[in-house]
Amino acid sequence: MSAINFLFAGFAVFWAGLFTYLIVLQLRIRTLRTEIEQIENDQESDDT
Amino acid sequence: MDLAYQYSCLISLTVADLKLTWREKSAWLTTALFACAALLIYSFALDLASGIVVSLLPGVIWTVFLFAGIFSASQSFHADRENGVLDALRISPVHPTIVYLSKTISNFVQLAAIQIPVLLGATVLFNEDIFQINIIMIVLLGTLGYCSLTTLLSALSFGSKSTNLMLPVMALPLLVPLLIACVEATASVLDDTPDGAPWMMLLVLFAIWTTLISALMFPLAD
Amino acid sequence: MNLNTLYNLRWTVLPPVVGVAITVMAGLALVSAPTEVVEGDVQRLLYVHLPSALASYLSFGITAVCSALFLITRDFKWDAGAQAAALVGLIFTALTLITGALWGRPIWGVYWQWDPRITTTLILFLIFAAYLVARKSSELDNERIARFCSVYAIIGFLDVPLIHMSVRWWRTLHPQPIVSRLDPALPTEMLLVTLFSVTAVLLVAVWFIVLGVEIELLSQRLLKIKGRVR
Repeated sequence: MSAINFLFAGFAVFWAGLFTYLIVLQLRIRTLRTEIEQIENDQESDDT
Repeated sequence: MDLAYQYSCLISLTVADLKLTWREKSAWLTTALFACAALLIYSFALDLASGIVVSLLPGVIWTVFLFAGIFSASQSFHADRENGVLDALRISPVHPTIVYLSKTISNFVQLAAIQIPVLLGATVLFNEDIFQINIIMIVLLGTLGYCSLTTLLSALSFGSKSTNLMLPVMALPLLVPLLIACVEATASVLDDTPDGAPWMMLLVLFAIWTTLISALMFPLAD
Repeated sequence: MNLNTLYNLRWTVLPPVVGVAITVMAGLALVSAPTEVVEGDVQRLLYVHLPSALASYLSFGITAVCSALFLITRDFKWDAGAQAAALVGLIFTALTLITGALWGRPIWGVYWQWDPRITTTLILFLIFAAYLVARKSSELDNERIARFCSVYAIIGFLDVPLIHMSVRWWRTLHPQPIVSRLDPALPTEMLLVTLFSVTAVLLVAVWFIVLGVEIELLSQRLLKIKGRVR
């Protein structure tokens, strides 16, 4: 493997790692928010 | 805080803990047997027929001691927690640091009492002059260094099962400096080379550091 | 007061700034930075490797500080901060080790070298991985375990100088293959790109920590709501 491939591999790992983590974080936030909303809605409909 | 009172508490707690350990027997006996079995396993696995015993011996001894220390620490607060002793001490006027120190001293005495015979046994098994005052000093210092830290970590209870699994995972990375220093110092004594001094210094530094920080942190952790 | 208004800017200002910074950084690192004379283009890995290392140290530092604040105030928002920062620190430590290995192979001929800095970084990874596993293996609102893990994070962070010292002595007292760590003073252009990359990646780390804190706080809220429903 020539030296330049190592450069590309390193950059690929770096950016792929950052993007994957960002997506994981966003998905997790979204599921938590919907879950909280759902429970709160259920409670409100129970109350009325 | 009455210092004289806390001091007398430290003495009586330590003595009580040691007496209880002596009477119970199962805990320190399993640790001692574990150390012997591990020593045996290592000597088989590393094939001592290859004739490079001296260069491997410090590593073997210290891995055995570290694992035995973690093994014994994982049981150290067990009985107290089951019998509600820890809760009783928490509402008593005894300072938490005193509770921690008494436990550490008791653990240290137990481990030292196990390790010195193991050193003697290793002298016989490996035909190496391990049982000498310099190495005993290193062993005592190293034991103080790791057992003050493992005692602090063993105060944690994760409920029933995972505590014993978490303890080595949490303790071993922190103990890397201690392991390096102990192995190097022991090796320098065995090889009769004079470069052991910086390692002894590191060992002393580490022992002081772990004891101080654990004594300070225990009241916050428990 | 001011700190709170600053923190409220996290959704409006931080994402676009981070996005622009990281894109510009990629361009600068791959195109604008001059090619290094000895190592060639591979040296451009410096612009992701060094910032990742600094970001991981920053994150672990934040974990230690948040843990101390949690021990003082017993407010779970600091516990959330400590956990989020520890996870981000682990990600950047992994990226540091991977990019370092990929850089080491063409230059040193080996992926891994038991060099003090590399070894310390690996042990740092193990310490905070243990912290996070211990913290996550219990309930979010278990104060005893939260306190205990905070103590562990602080001790782990304070242990780092000792680890580094011991590994350095260990390596220097032994014969070892010579690693060219000459690091000649970087030319101005490279220095500027490096500084920009460091800033960009630290911003990314801060953003990740903010998102992580949001997740922890939402989880805490969810737990409370669930408790009330039952």
